[in-house]
Amino acid sequence: MTEPPRILVVEDEPQIRRFVSDALRKEGAMPLAAGAARQGLDAIVTHEPQLVVLDLGLPDMSGLEFIRSLRTWSRVPVLILSARTDEQDKIEALDAGADDYLTKPFGVGELLARVRVLLRRHAADTDATPLRRFGDIEVDLARHTARCGVEDLHLTQIEFRLLAVLLAGAGKVLTHRHLMREVWGPGHAGQEHYLRIYVRRLRQKLEADPARPRHLLTETGVGYRFQL
Amino acid sequence: MPFRWSRARYPLAVALCATTSLVALVLRPWLDQANIVMLFLLAVFLVALRLGRGPAVLAAFLSVACFDVFFVPPHLSFSVADVQYLVTLVVMLSVGLITTHLTARLAERQEAAQARESETRMLYGLARDLGSALTVDQVADIVGRFLGSMGMSSALSIDGSAGGPADFLVHGALDEGALACASDAYRRNAPVTEDPRAAGMMFLPFSGATRVRGVLAVGTGRAERLPLLDTVASLAGIAIERLHYAEVAARSELDAESEKLRSSLLSSISHDLRTPLTSLVGLADALAERGTSLPDDSGETAAIIRDQAHAMHRMVSNLLEMARLQSGRVMLNRQWQPIEEIVGSSVRLLDDSLATRRLAIDLPADLPLVSFDAVLMERVLCNLLENAVKYSAPDAQIILSAQLVDAELEVTVCNAGSGFPPGRVDRVFDLFARGQPEPAIPGTGIGLAVCRAIVAAHGGTITAENRPGQACVRFSLPLGTPPDVSAELA
Repeated sequence: MTEPPRILVVEDEPQIRRFVSDALRKEGAMPLAAGAARQGLDAIVTHEPQLVVLDLGLPDMSGLEFIRSLRTWSRVPVLILSARTDEQDKIEALDAGADDYLTKPFGVGELLARVRVLLRRHAADTDATPLRRFGDIEVDLARHTARCGVEDLHLTQIEFRLLAVLLAGAGKVLTHRHLMREVWGPGHAGQEHYLRIYVRRLRQKLEADPARPRHLLTETGVGYRFQL
Repeated sequence: MPFRWSRARYPLAVALCATTSLVALVLRPWLDQANIVMLFLLAVFLVALRLGRGPAVLAAFLSVACFDVFFVPPHLSFSVADVQYLVTLVVMLSVGLITTHLTARLAERQEAAQARESETRMLYGLARDLGSALTVDQVADIVGRFLGSMGMSSALSIDGSAGGPADFLVHGALDEGALACASDAYRRNAPVTEDPRAAGMMFLPFSGATRVRGVLAVGTGRAERLPLLDTVASLAGIAIERLHYAEVAARSELDAESEKLRSSLLSSISHDLRTPLTSLVGLADALAERGTSLPDDSGETAAIIRDQAHAMHRMVSNLLEMARLQSGRVMLNRQWQPIEEIVGSSVRLLDDSLATRRLAIDLPADLPLVSFDAVLMERVLCNLLENAVKYSAPDAQIILSAQLVDAELEVTVCNAGSGFPPGRVDRVFDLFARGQPEPAIPGTGIGLAVCRAIVAAHGGTITAENRPGQACVRFSLPLGTPPDVSAELA
């Protein structure tokens, strides 16, 4: 990449804005900063950033409104910073189109890891190969097969569909509602226990230690994250 | 009586008969005897219409007598010459009496209807007044004035308890005997009258739509007024029940308001406390990662600042969680889920501090689903694991296990170490209690209190115990009936 990626930080606290910008600059990105939501939306129009880091608790507009308004005309990835413990806010923001979240306080390492994943996802949107690898596992999305080393893994149809949806959103947080809709179709609200059971079965088949998963991670109260 | 001079009714009837006789005597040369009879009947009819039953009967007899004396030959004598006149007299008397009866009954009915109408109008007025009453005192006052205008005294005895044992609030003056009668009437839900303890008083219980609400006590009431008093009592009951529910609604609105205020206060405190901590963690992190460009131990210092900020954040989170739980109305976001959901995420959250210990996780693969709030239960596990790290030496073993015991899922976290001080094991869950009187290990003693509050909110129990060479905390969650998942979701 010849040009450093532009990353917009929308955050009303100057100290947080400062260290996030510093960290991004050291990572080789070009940070842009906005202290309010309207300013942030304007900056997205003018500078066309590759990633937006958005604080959910902005004074002039709720984060949810920001994302809804942004998603009507842009697909730029959005990483949410949330000081709230209320899981509902995060779920709503993610369902409205945000890609990932970080709960305050967070370390620089965590922040940069999320940023890298989102930038890579954005660049790799045109990935044409049906093969996905994580750990010792290789999944062929075209032929609906999964192997662990040389051994074939037997996945049921629904297990495979769930795995495919998780892989498609790898690196992002996927809410329970999103996964239910993608795997079982609409109209299954309140039946999330099915999802949890299938996640448990997938972990038992894919993870070396299902109690300490390394790929299929729980985002408590929100959903799941698949980490390659 | 519609006629005003009611005492002069009988003389008037007599006078009218006399006048009729005089007029008939004057007109006798021109009138047939049959028409004279008509004049007398007219007089009886008028008396019945205006003066009532008694005077009319008198007039009927008087008319027959006058007719007999003055117009039936031989004149000025009761004797009758022609037997035919006997028929005339008998018919005349009968027609007079029947007319009297019919007319009087009509008049009485009209009178009763008028009385009823005025009573209804008064009751309507009472209902309207009670409808605008804002307090129970006003209800008592309005009822008192209404019955006062009819010459009766009254008092209300109202049950102020909400379903418990009756607790009477008396509005008005009632002596001890009267109070006993009132409580009898309340208990039996039937009127009490002519009781020797309160002579001359009546006690009428009244109820709203749901239950008996109180008793209306009436002094100097007459038994024939009972239906009216009953109506007054029910109107009072409806008014009092309306006031009761208005109060309940106002109170629950107030509760909801204060709950909203409390939770918005907590979330703004939470935001204000976390924001500087976020800056602190981030800035210290940035400093630590600058690495080589700093003097020797600065990187280490920055890392310590960061760790302390994280520790402070955990403390703040526990405090806020405790404040939220103690406010009493925590809405649990319960979902059916396997316990490993939160085991994995808790362990991942504490990766850094657990790296210095040997963690063993023992979860049977076929544990049933349990209904719990994942975010809160994750906090329980994190607090227990953090404690296990805090109170054990580096490289010590920590064991996290879960198993089914009867109808409960039991989760245990044990760490190798000296254990809880003997004699204080049961107190470690108290708020701000610490294991030792002056512990060398920093902490606030809030972590386990939060655990207990969360587990209790789920209907479970939490206990601490020392095992040989180990300190263990064990909590259990009730299993309940998980949803059926045998069928594939189409």
